[in-house]
Amino acid sequence: MSTTPTTAAAPERPLPTPTRESRPFWDGMREGRFMLQHCSACGKARHYPRPVCPHCFSMESTFKEMSTGGVIHTWTVCHHPFNFFFKASAPYVVALVDMDAGVRVNAPLRGVAEGDIKISQRVKLGFEPVTKEITLPFFVAAG
Amino acid sequence: MAHALREKAAISGVGETAYTRGTPKSGLALQLEASLAAITDAGLSPRDIDGVVPYFPGGGIAEDFIANLGLPDLKLSVFVPMGGATCVAAIQTAAMAVATGVCKHVLISVGRTGYSGARVSTRLQQFPQFALAAEFEAPIGMFAPAQLYAQGARRHMELYGTTARHFAEIAVVTRQHAILNGNVVMNKPLTVEEHHASRMISDPFRLFDCSLESDGGAAVIVSAAGRARDLRKPLVTVMGVAEGHPESPASIAQRPDLLEFGLAKAAPRAYDMAGLGPRDIDVAEIYDCFTFTVINQLELLGFCKKGEGGPFIMDGRIGVGGELPINTHGGLLSQGHVVGLNHVVELTRQLRREAGKAQVEDAEVGLVTGYGDMGDGSVAILRRAA
Repeated sequence: MSTTPTTAAAPERPLPTPTRESRPFWDGMREGRFMLQHCSACGKARHYPRPVCPHCFSMESTFKEMSTGGVIHTWTVCHHPFNFFFKASAPYVVALVDMDAGVRVNAPLRGVAEGDIKISQRVKLGFEPVTKEITLPFFVAAG
Repeated sequence: MAHALREKAAISGVGETAYTRGTPKSGLALQLEASLAAITDAGLSPRDIDGVVPYFPGGGIAEDFIANLGLPDLKLSVFVPMGGATCVAAIQTAAMAVATGVCKHVLISVGRTGYSGARVSTRLQQFPQFALAAEFEAPIGMFAPAQLYAQGARRHMELYGTTARHFAEIAVVTRQHAILNGNVVMNKPLTVEEHHASRMISDPFRLFDCSLESDGGAAVIVSAAGRARDLRKPLVTVMGVAEGHPESPASIAQRPDLLEFGLAKAAPRAYDMAGLGPRDIDVAEIYDCFTFTVINQLELLGFCKKGEGGPFIMDGRIGVGGELPINTHGGLLSQGHVVGLNHVVELTRQLRREAGKAQVEDAEVGLVTGYGDMGDGSVAILRRAA
């Protein structure tokens, strides 16, 4: 029996599996729209998507397109790739952003030097298609 | 009126395996080895154990304990799925069981092959608590606790001026304590310079800000206080114990205050139950998955004000011989990572005055915390009985 040299498969990007609750969010991302779940009874936004409003316990909700603007709440610079897929892009900045829409989004921050990042800095969410189904968020400095 | 659980339960036995990086043993074997050591320490027979709270997920379950230890009549088998907060929260569960008479002796145990088995990046994907992070954060490159908790640490630095020097102090002092203990993975001295020169994992966390991936097991037996009094070792009583769950429990990102988690709710309840406060604590074993996590918890425990944790731990305060010795065994940072059950083992030994070179003089009252699962918290206050 001969041994055949094998090449390790390229690591795959971890991808979200949209659920019955979250599908409208991911459908919106694919269309380049930041869609947030809102309670139909009390009107409050919630993220990540879930069946019940924790404020008024209504199970009725709708998704509305919201502003892509926000300010940096905090950040980290990922050096060690805990998933091999990210080895090529490390180090990369991930900013946690207080969206104007009232929820937070965690996503890569692009085009801002590490030393220039500040809390309360204005950023804007962008849309990056990674498969036919899935589009992921990223941030760039706003205005 | 005294809380119904105050002084009703005691830690009657503690046990550990060697802490290593590399072992031929299974996690279950390590868990059982530590369990037998704890049973011997208490002066009990395995047949006396009638309740089990095994760490989950990963490790043995009730069936394994019955099959291996020949338990004749197990009356309680529960999991406390709180990640790193599990082991101390399990003391509350066990105390409820022995105080009500459901059980006589409850065994809390962990066995882990965190070095020779599955590593953190793969292990966590099996946790249902991490499903939200898997859907929304893993795809953008945030998955490991080192990354998720780093954002909170960065915010603390930006708001309060906490620095890498403060982080290094925790790492260096914890290492000094590990060397005093001896049964540790990291047994060489660490300097502040070496801490600062270690590679960046997820800014602001460097390698020496992160806890170990190691192999080992630990176990603790909780007995009714009255029964424990008649056992081999000095009585170590559970004065107060509580668990707490934060807002947005499965996603740090959506939590209103990243620096306020389950311990903020648990600590006042545990102090109230114990009838004791931060100033009564002689020694504290604080869950140290990361150096910064210790600083953050000291604030939530009321040892200092919010934002003042960095300066608080400096100038020898947290070393053995200092005002508030912390992690006198070397913690998760330098001894080994058995999800913090080693912290309970160490606090018990301190209060029994069995802590060897790391013994805190006249230790009477001690505190131990657990922290995990994106922010669950737990705390127990133990006292050496007169």
